[in-house]
Amino acid sequence: MTRSQTTQARPAVVFQPAAYRGMQQGIDQIVEAIRPTLGPRPRLVAIERASRSKPPELLDSGGVIARRIIELPDPDQNMGAMFIRGLLWRLHEQVGDGTATAATLFQSLFNQGVRYMVSGGNAMLLRRHLEGGMQLILDTLTSMTTQVEGKEDLERVAASICYDPPLARLLGEILDIVGEYGWLEIRSSQGRELEREYVEGAYWEGGVLSRQMLDGQPKPKVEMENAAILISDLEVEDPQQLVPVMDVTLQAGLRSLLIVAGKLSDSAIGLLQANRDPAKFQAIAVQAPAPRTDERAAALEDLAVLTGGIPLLKAAGDTLGRVTLAELGRARRVWADRSHFGVVAAQGDPHRLRAQIASLREAISRVGSGPSSFARTPQAGDAEARRRLQQRMGKLMGGSAILWVGGATESEIALRKELAQRTADALRGAVLEGVLPGGGVSLLACCPRLRQMLDQSTDPDERFAYRALLRAMEEPCRTIITNAGYDASEIMSEIRRGGLGCGFDVISGQIVDVWQAGILDVAAVQKAAVRSAVSGAGLALTVDTLVRRKRPAVSMEPD
Amino acid sequence: MGVESQEPAQIGDIVYSIAVSPNFTRDGICFAARRSGLYRSKDGGITWRSAYEALSLKAPLPTMTVAVSPDFAVDRSVFAGVLGGILRSSDGGACWSLAELASPPPLVSALVVSPDFAHDGTLLAATMDDGVFRSADRGSRWVAWNFGLLDLHVLTLAISPAFAQDETLFAGTESGLFRSTNGGRAWREVHFPTAAAPVLSLALSPAYAADGVLFAGTEGSGEPEYPSGLFHSSDRGRTWVGLGDEAFGGAVNGILLSPDFPTQADVLAVLDSSLTISRDGGQTWSPWKAGLSFDQGISCAAAPQGLNPSAPVLAGLVDGGVLRL
Repeated sequence: MTRSQTTQARPAVVFQPAAYRGMQQGIDQIVEAIRPTLGPRPRLVAIERASRSKPPELLDSGGVIARRIIELPDPDQNMGAMFIRGLLWRLHEQVGDGTATAATLFQSLFNQGVRYMVSGGNAMLLRRHLEGGMQLILDTLTSMTTQVEGKEDLERVAASICYDPPLARLLGEILDIVGEYGWLEIRSSQGRELEREYVEGAYWEGGVLSRQMLDGQPKPKVEMENAAILISDLEVEDPQQLVPVMDVTLQAGLRSLLIVAGKLSDSAIGLLQANRDPAKFQAIAVQAPAPRTDERAAALEDLAVLTGGIPLLKAAGDTLGRVTLAELGRARRVWADRSHFGVVAAQGDPHRLRAQIASLREAISRVGSGPSSFARTPQAGDAEARRRLQQRMGKLMGGSAILWVGGATESEIALRKELAQRTADALRGAVLEGVLPGGGVSLLACCPRLRQMLDQSTDPDERFAYRALLRAMEEPCRTIITNAGYDASEIMSEIRRGGLGCGFDVISGQIVDVWQAGILDVAAVQKAAVRSAVSGAGLALTVDTLVRRKRPAVSMEPD
Repeated sequence: MGVESQEPAQIGDIVYSIAVSPNFTRDGICFAARRSGLYRSKDGGITWRSAYEALSLKAPLPTMTVAVSPDFAVDRSVFAGVLGGILRSSDGGACWSLAELASPPPLVSALVVSPDFAHDGTLLAATMDDGVFRSADRGSRWVAWNFGLLDLHVLTLAISPAFAQDETLFAGTESGLFRSTNGGRAWREVHFPTAAAPVLSLALSPAYAADGVLFAGTEGSGEPEYPSGLFHSSDRGRTWVGLGDEAFGGAVNGILLSPDFPTQADVLAVLDSSLTISRDGGQTWSPWKAGLSFDQGISCAAAPQGLNPSAPVLAGLVDGGVLRL
């Protein structure tokens, strides 16, 4: 399904029933590609690489699979496919998981809805009733939610997401330590195993401005104690500009100075080197972090909050001429190497730090992975914005974690890294919003209330909406069972006989109490999946006409 | 005054901390950490001698805190917090070895030993500028664990009596209160009224695992919203109420609970210049002993045999003395 395979469509306006038919076929293709990935025994989806001589990309994430399919050959089918692709991608960006659940729910609702529309149903009324039923489902899920606390809980949830026990164990420990807003970096390792590392304090990209500053060190890293910190993006040409900063530092009885700056001239670096005597005074200069102006300003602001200083910014017209001690930050230890610098036990005002964290938390909740974020429509770019905010917040929380992911091949490492990231994102949601019975059982538990509403309703469109939702709520559970190689009809009957809370453990092949068996879903993910699927299907059913463009642009990203 | 003994006082030689042997009734061993060093008594606090004699120090070694192993009868372990490190003794305080903390040297402000020390070998040390350090090898090596600890100026620590199961600790800081539920590896802020901080003292109910009760003592802000320096929570720190509005005007330097709390709901509050007891979990308060006053100021206290009226209380004084009351 690459660009070269597409046909050049003629511009046209497509009416019903051809419009539904085309969209339905496109939606079905995307959903059927993602469906095998649902459940603890997922099957992989192989995606052809741009170069056919390379091995295919093996994926088990619905969000990534949707992202890889950029166009279908048939323009009408393509519109349906791109509709659900955008929906799933945004869901993936928002909560990191739940795309396969959303895909199966969406397909069930849309296909049932199309049949109803063809037989004369009212799309607008159906959409309204579907959204009414969705609220009922969300309320029921909320009432079933249990909070997650401690390493063991987190491990269980992680295992339910990634089905990789060693990875679940480490992610449970890491999230327990760094917290729901903490910073976790996932890196490739040379070995085959998983490892984790905890980094004390905060660090930024931006190494020493001259490698001479690392000379004479036992390792390529320079460390200083009880340091003053100049926080700036200034470009220092004249060495004399540094003298007031050095004077202020020495007058305060400090013998170490970390200079964060946009640039230092060779002569300015020479001044620092000439005055370098660890017994009397030592200064090192590092590159101000982040190349983009807004990110740099944010990083310097965070460093200032953490260390109790004030950033001196080029854009604000600041200079070093009248620098005061109050403008310098303080830390018990600072370090720098060729590519990074860091502060440990920074001595900023804890009240100011709390205010900065609260403001970042609020910003995160506006772009996803926060309690209030799940009620909004995800936007393109949310994931990147969230990642940047989480990184900033993590730096303020006293430390960060690095998860080293190894494997036999690059593909295996990439697959496990993606799985680790997806699981970590979902775990953050679990800490913030709790967990639900897994294996599709929480959705089955919504059925009694939907059935009750169905029985009470006399409106044909409303009754159909409840019937469609009732059937759709079974679809994820059926798919999990089928994907594991079992007969879904037979097992669904057994689950119904078992009562509320019972589900099928595809690993043991038994009907179990899913809570007790540790089969869990992240409430935030499950709710976001329901919201995306029901709202999306309701909206898609109101599409009456398709308009083809003559030369549509192919975009990698959904609008 | 009921005073049975008093160490000769030295000007400015404040007693920061007192620790007693778990078998105090039989062995009478207790320690007092002072600005001038660590002192040990083998007769229940009647006479004291320097515990640092074996170190042959040329100058006094200010000792901010002292803690005794809960398995002291077997392992004879004592720990003392000094500038830059933890002194360890495994012979009841005769010989010492130093375990250094990170550089620059932090000032150790509090020490707690795991109630399950015999098995987990875990201790935690609070510092004035570097947060909390943790050792899981009986105090040999220490690592700073400050995830989520937004204020590194830690004044006091309290450990859950059920630490082996719940891994819970509290850290009182200059600006608030933090809780760890993973053995001190990570911290989350507790909804403690920050205007009431700093938190100077903490005490967890011996039945904390079941009742979730803890007390926190502060400097006493004097603000109308928080007239008292003593706070109580019965839900593991989620909500707090001020106690003893009339009895407390200033700082609460220490809080001691009956070993049978909450069955015997005795709470002793160590105030700047008095000891105040409540026999009903903090609802009503009265002086520990009528007519007792401490013009020299009290800094800390220990109740090795509980809080019955006849049980002894060791009170550490701002002028360096220790009173056995």
